Amino acid sequence: MKKYLVYILTVMTMVVFGLALNATAEEGVTDTEIHIGQWGPQTGPAAPWGAVARGTDAYFKMINADGGIHGRKLIHHYFDDAYNPAKTKAGVKQLQEDTGMFAWVSGVGTAPGLAVKDYLMERKILWVGPSAGSRHWLEPANKYLFNTYPLYLGDAELLTKYAVETLKLKKIAVVYQNDDYGKQGLEGCEAELKKQGLELAIGLPMNVADVDMKPHIMKLKNSDAQAVLLFVGPGHVARLQGTGKAMQFEPQWMTSTTCGDHPLMMAITKGLYAGTISAAFGLMDPTNIGDIADFNKPTLPAMVKFYNDGYKKFAAKEERWGSTFAAGMGYVEPLIEALKRVGRDVTREKVVAELEKIQNFKSAMGTVSYTAFDANDPLCRIGQQEVFLVRAEPDGTSTILTNWYKTTYIPSGH
Amino acid sequence: MVEFLQMVLSGIAVGSSYALMGLGMVLIYKASEVPNFVQGEMALLPVFISFMLLTSYNVPYYIAFPATLIFAFLLGCFLEFGILRRAKEPNVLGLIIITIGMEMILLGFVSWKFGADQRAMPFPISSYDSIIIGDIFISTLDMLTLVVALVIMLSMFLFFRFSKTGVAMKATQMNENAAALMGIKTKQIRMVAWGISSMVGCVAGLLMAPILVEPYMMWDPMLKGFSGAVVGGMTSLPGAVFGAYIVGIVEHLFGGYVSLEFKSVVAFVIIVIVLCIKPSGLFARHYVKKV
Repeated sequence: MKKYLVYILTVMTMVVFGLALNATAEEGVTDTEIHIGQWGPQTGPAAPWGAVARGTDAYFKMINADGGIHGRKLIHHYFDDAYNPAKTKAGVKQLQEDTGMFAWVSGVGTAPGLAVKDYLMERKILWVGPSAGSRHWLEPANKYLFNTYPLYLGDAELLTKYAVETLKLKKIAVVYQNDDYGKQGLEGCEAELKKQGLELAIGLPMNVADVDMKPHIMKLKNSDAQAVLLFVGPGHVARLQGTGKAMQFEPQWMTSTTCGDHPLMMAITKGLYAGTISAAFGLMDPTNIGDIADFNKPTLPAMVKFYNDGYKKFAAKEERWGSTFAAGMGYVEPLIEALKRVGRDVTREKVVAELEKIQNFKSAMGTVSYTAFDANDPLCRIGQQEVFLVRAEPDGTSTILTNWYKTTYIPSGH
Repeated sequence: MVEFLQMVLSGIAVGSSYALMGLGMVLIYKASEVPNFVQGEMALLPVFISFMLLTSYNVPYYIAFPATLIFAFLLGCFLEFGILRRAKEPNVLGLIIITIGMEMILLGFVSWKFGADQRAMPFPISSYDSIIIGDIFISTLDMLTLVVALVIMLSMFLFFRFSKTGVAMKATQMNENAAALMGIKTKQIRMVAWGISSMVGCVAGLLMAPILVEPYMMWDPMLKGFSGAVVGGMTSLPGAVFGAYIVGIVEHLFGGYVSLEFKSVVAFVIIVIVLCIKPSGLFARHYVKKV
């Protein structure tokens, strides 16, 4: 009888001890693995941006091939949400509750991100580098949400400033996608024009489904716009420039960071993109104005390594090397840096603490800094505010036009 | 005045693409009495095949485009013969669901096989050149689309009026049983109608492709073509064309004078208005089936 009692007590002790261990273990972290989730459109109208998730995947595989982080492999779980917020929410919930993610990275789009922001923040789940320059990630600041993408407001600010001060153009127009992304572009341009004592020539909304650009071009022509800022997707840029050329309207086109993949833009516009000025926030070094940067021949050391050891070894054969793919590495670099700094004892709180210590971290996507959490300070989680300008050249290369420029943060409602 | 004329001309130009899509839909509706939601993808797949022939295999235009049209014809025939005809005792709702299913399969196939990246299709004429009449512009591509649409409409008219197959198609649409009793192979006729419809849609796709090729490129033109067909009357070929031009012109005038923001939805407002006033469409004869 005593023997059985000893057996039962031993088993019970082991069960209780095991449960206790499990209770203290961090979700998504085992002795050998760290599970990280990501969503991104692999199908649907926004599918070209799906390369971000595939870039992150190749980056994680490259890290794992180099031995992982402190002996742990990064297990990347990414799913196709087709840029549909309902699918984003369902996919995130499923992965979080069934498998258990330690953190989420990137995630393309403002609307899909908004669909899961509260879910992740209420559960104190880390989310690093949303792939959209939206104020929603900062207002209010969240302890577990770290932005890396400069706001679209800043793109518009620098583009407008350059058009007015350097190119001496006075009539500036904006064509903007009729959503958070596009409206930020419009707001940033209007704010900068106000500073310059000018007024917007015209602001034209564009729906994602629009394919006929003639009404837009006619209105732009009538406004006598000399420079047009485009806060739309790459396909719409191609359509606008093509229709503009056919209707003999050729202003100084300027685009946001979302159209910074010059080889791609040159290909889809059949060369019309040459001369277009776009905002950028990484993947090249803008220190020497006038230099020519060829994105297909990366020079930044981290990018060269990723190109040789990540893209070439782990990307699918048909995957194109482009800024969208490479950005998949850039957005998550701060998390990887924090994981390296935190050592073997990985918890969300410790990683947050390490992220908060990141100052002037030179990532592939610019210089990233965070500060201690302050719910009233959106800038504590902004990551980086600098952008620069490049001009697309006919051979797909980019001429550096400006050095890094620190943009102004404009709170909502101002 | 120049602005107004420019908008009308631009509306006619874009309406030509809608008209080709609408014609394709009406052809199938007349043959199978089903609104065909796979119309856009029946054009999409051949466009990508053409893109592949031109860019990966360097096939010249004069071979690639006819080959694409033949492929489109065979694709349409296959969808009718291989899928739609297999439906057991189908009702209209069932057939609509089948076309939606086929739409998703073809779209998924194109996305999987060719990827989601946007591309520019090589084309014999530049899509950026334009013809200037006074102060009014029309791009050479739009002009070509307009001419091609008119030629196809005329060919359709002649085909239905004077060719044996065309007359057989009309007979099949009017009364399938009577047509069969007269020796018309109605199933074959229906299959050919799907093939021709697919070819007409493919022409529209090829004329849109020089601007941008992407998996979702046919969605909007298909919806607008459908709108035009509903406005004109789903059983009337001239009606589909007229309706498509109305949609194109009203869209442009609305975008130019009222709101660019709601330009895309104006086509559907037109549908609602027309259906309230004349439920069978502007050009189709309203008839009541006797029981």
